Amino acid sequence: MTASTLGTLFRNEIRMLVRDTRTILIAVIAPIVIFPVLAFVMTTVESREEARLDTATFEYVVSGDAVASGLPILERALERVAGDSTTRARFERVEADDPDRVRARIADGSLALLVEIRSPADDAEVDVPSFVLTYRGPSDLSRRAESTLRTALDDVREELRDSAFSGAGFPVHRDRVARVERESVASDARVAGAFLGLALTPFLVLLMLSGGSIVAADAISGEKERGTLETLLTSAADRRSIVRAKLLAVVAVGFTVASINVANLVVYAGLGVLDLPTRLAVDLSPAGTVLLALLILPITLLVASALLLLSGFAKSYREYQTWFFPVFLCFLLPALLPVMPGLELRSAAVILPISGVGLAIRDLLVGETDPLFAGLAFLTTALPALGLTRVVERALSNERLISNAELDEADLVGGPALFPRHALAWFLGFWVVFFVNVLWFGEQLGIRGQVIVNLVVIFFGGSMFVVRRYRLPVRETFGLRAPSPLAWIATLIAAPSALLLGIGLSEWMIRWLFPVPEGMMEAMAEAMTADLPLWQLVVFVAVMPAIFEELAFRGLLVRGLRGMKLPTWAVIVAGGAIFGVFHVSLFRIFPTAWLGMNLVAVVLLTRSIWPAVLWHFLNNALAIVPTELGWVDTTGAFPAWTPWVSLVALVGAWGLFWRSADDEGRAAFSRRGSRPRG
Amino acid sequence: MTTAESAPHAPPPGAPAVEVLDLRKSFWDEGRGEVRAVDGLSFECRSGEVFGLLGANGAGKTTTLRMLSTILRPTEGTARIMGHDVREAPEAVRRSLGFYSASTALYPRLNARETLDFFARINGYPADRVPSRVEALVERFGIREYEKARVEKLSSGMKQKVSIARTIAHDPPVLIFDEPTVGLDVLNALEMVRVIRELREEGKAILFSSHIMSEVEKLCDRIGIVHRGRLLAMGTLEELRESSGRHYLEDIFVHHVTAAEGVEGAAVGFAGELVEESPE
Repeated sequence: MTASTLGTLFRNEIRMLVRDTRTILIAVIAPIVIFPVLAFVMTTVESREEARLDTATFEYVVSGDAVASGLPILERALERVAGDSTTRARFERVEADDPDRVRARIADGSLALLVEIRSPADDAEVDVPSFVLTYRGPSDLSRRAESTLRTALDDVREELRDSAFSGAGFPVHRDRVARVERESVASDARVAGAFLGLALTPFLVLLMLSGGSIVAADAISGEKERGTLETLLTSAADRRSIVRAKLLAVVAVGFTVASINVANLVVYAGLGVLDLPTRLAVDLSPAGTVLLALLILPITLLVASALLLLSGFAKSYREYQTWFFPVFLCFLLPALLPVMPGLELRSAAVILPISGVGLAIRDLLVGETDPLFAGLAFLTTALPALGLTRVVERALSNERLISNAELDEADLVGGPALFPRHALAWFLGFWVVFFVNVLWFGEQLGIRGQVIVNLVVIFFGGSMFVVRRYRLPVRETFGLRAPSPLAWIATLIAAPSALLLGIGLSEWMIRWLFPVPEGMMEAMAEAMTADLPLWQLVVFVAVMPAIFEELAFRGLLVRGLRGMKLPTWAVIVAGGAIFGVFHVSLFRIFPTAWLGMNLVAVVLLTRSIWPAVLWHFLNNALAIVPTELGWVDTTGAFPAWTPWVSLVALVGAWGLFWRSADDEGRAAFSRRGSRPRG
Repeated sequence: MTTAESAPHAPPPGAPAVEVLDLRKSFWDEGRGEVRAVDGLSFECRSGEVFGLLGANGAGKTTTLRMLSTILRPTEGTARIMGHDVREAPEAVRRSLGFYSASTALYPRLNARETLDFFARINGYPADRVPSRVEALVERFGIREYEKARVEKLSSGMKQKVSIARTIAHDPPVLIFDEPTVGLDVLNALEMVRVIRELREEGKAILFSSHIMSEVEKLCDRIGIVHRGRLLAMGTLEELRESSGRHYLEDIFVHHVTAAEGVEGAAVGFAGELVEESPE
């Protein structure tokens, strides 16, 4: 990739876009003209309607069996309306007898209001008249008559109540009881920041999606339809330059559209066409401004990559438009998360792309930056963005973009070659079934039922179905080969040391990231043991997960991930993360992901599943049995040196694993990912 | 090193500009199952030569040429363009060739001059020489009159000229023309043939695919007859005449195809399928 090629491609993208009349109309003219015109028309209509209602005459009818006793109150209320200097509206009484006819006249709009004054019911506690105001909801005039008279009646009732209190010698004004004053510790700028912080991320994502989509749709699916994609792909420009130029164009256009809209808002608010919340001045230092720009960057990149990917996979504009709405929601929903009250950056939300950054932006604008978590939020959005960019590059190498064949080489070879492409979808399916089972049937099934359904039916049954469906070789897929004796020894050292490190990691997480209520921890511990005899506990919590989870996650899943030609580190991280996600509770994700990563690595290096099975068994057994037998005091903390000794032992164990591995295992472990074709 | 410097403009001494070595490509089609679009093709094309791939629609010509242009990946075998392997060095391969087909459209909102400038640059032509190259192409193809007009406003004949100029914008040593006369009227088709001859005279190695016998007969120095992804016969027109005992290329083509199918008295349909003739 050269800068000049990238520049040429980018200029071409922009030039094509600028010359597209539809784009200019939608992206530039529409926001500049239509939006404010619409706002102006709405404001004008609203003010005219307000003026009409303000000078209106509300015709009303009074009826009921207690008119004589209620009329003085009504007249006093009408006097208040007449004396109100803020409105010129007036009420005019009309005589009518038949209440049904009066209601019909209100319904057809020729009458605004019916005031019924009724006698108190026989069982009423006080002997006072009751006012019933009948009006027509959809009519502005009738509604306004009702609200004006109701407010006036409320005021009169309060006046009469106060005068009764006063006559009995009670203080009337509340300030004579106690005075209350208020003072905010936040400056106006911080208050403005809090408001802007809530709105900025969803607003930005919305504009990026709508603005970026204009160019993204055209960038690949549009080129496909026009037939220019084949011309471009047969040129010497590499796929990476093509994708980056298109990404830059999407980001640039998204930013431009966002800027135009923001400028529009500011200008028209200045002209008084639009009403914006007052005092939007945010106090942001130069460093804060740079940080804000840095936080916005991964969001724009993620949105741009996703739109481009959608464009790459869509066969036409129409297909792009079909898929755009679900993608739109997928991005807007996490952007709205920071609006939720009480959600903190220092929580599990930090790992959610866009949401984490949104929370960091919110905190930054109120002047409460948390550098560690802001950095984490940046990474959790930036990394998926970069990952998506790579996927788009691969998508451009996809033969289906060019050939008329519905499927390509992997489909042809079928079975094993096709599996890597579908592996994640299968595990997503497993997860959904697993999650539904845990959520809806968890309690009824109990721990034994859950283990049987989850491990035997979903994981093992599902894995065997997939193995059969894709004709995968059983031995190779599940790594059913004997490891060297050294690997067994290494496992015996690695399992307890990794467990201790995992416990440390878990405690750190709970303390710093996901403060878990004690009640939840106790419920969790109870659920893990659930009054089972020790031997059953070992079978259901240690033996069965060790066998069935290893077959599914370290056997089938790892085969799928390796088939995706990912580098070893990515296989390990993805394999561990997916395993973690299957453990539902947020605070268990990290420790199980840590265990999962170790197990993936050991399977890759030894090319055998058995050390992982033993490791998993030891991990779960050691986590439960000593506690059950009362050998370990669960309330006590481990000595401070425990993590360091565990770390040294684990590193030593990994040294042994390395020594135990054959050349093929080491080569597989050291594999680097395949790059997209030029 | 710039992209232009790394692009070879002459094949290694003695080596052909294009070498196709046992090239295979299979697809999976929902209706038909496995389809061997290209099934072990081997041929070569030297500089200053027009090599014609003759075959019915669906014979595998376009798939072969798309593999040579690196947008499809061979299932087996490989090919080398100016010594660069299509599997190993796809970018170097693409710098060395110009690809023209009915499906390689032009950007509608660029004008003719911008089109040539853009493709010369992204194909790695030295930036300082791009303006003079574009000028030469505008002159050569008579584009001057409409050089500032957007491509979407041009007639099909004008577009064809711009498209050919686009193909050779970076002056590649190898040119691929995949069914270039499809959809053109007679005059424009003749113009296309004239241009290809000119390019051959300039020493370009040209791969030309067509199912139109007369074009192949007039233009190609050597011809490869392709059927069901396989190369049935290859040679100069004279050599093909000798080996088949037929004079006209159409007869030569039918002769080879029927022999390959092993069905006497069969006629070849346009889709490359054999249609049994009625015994009556």
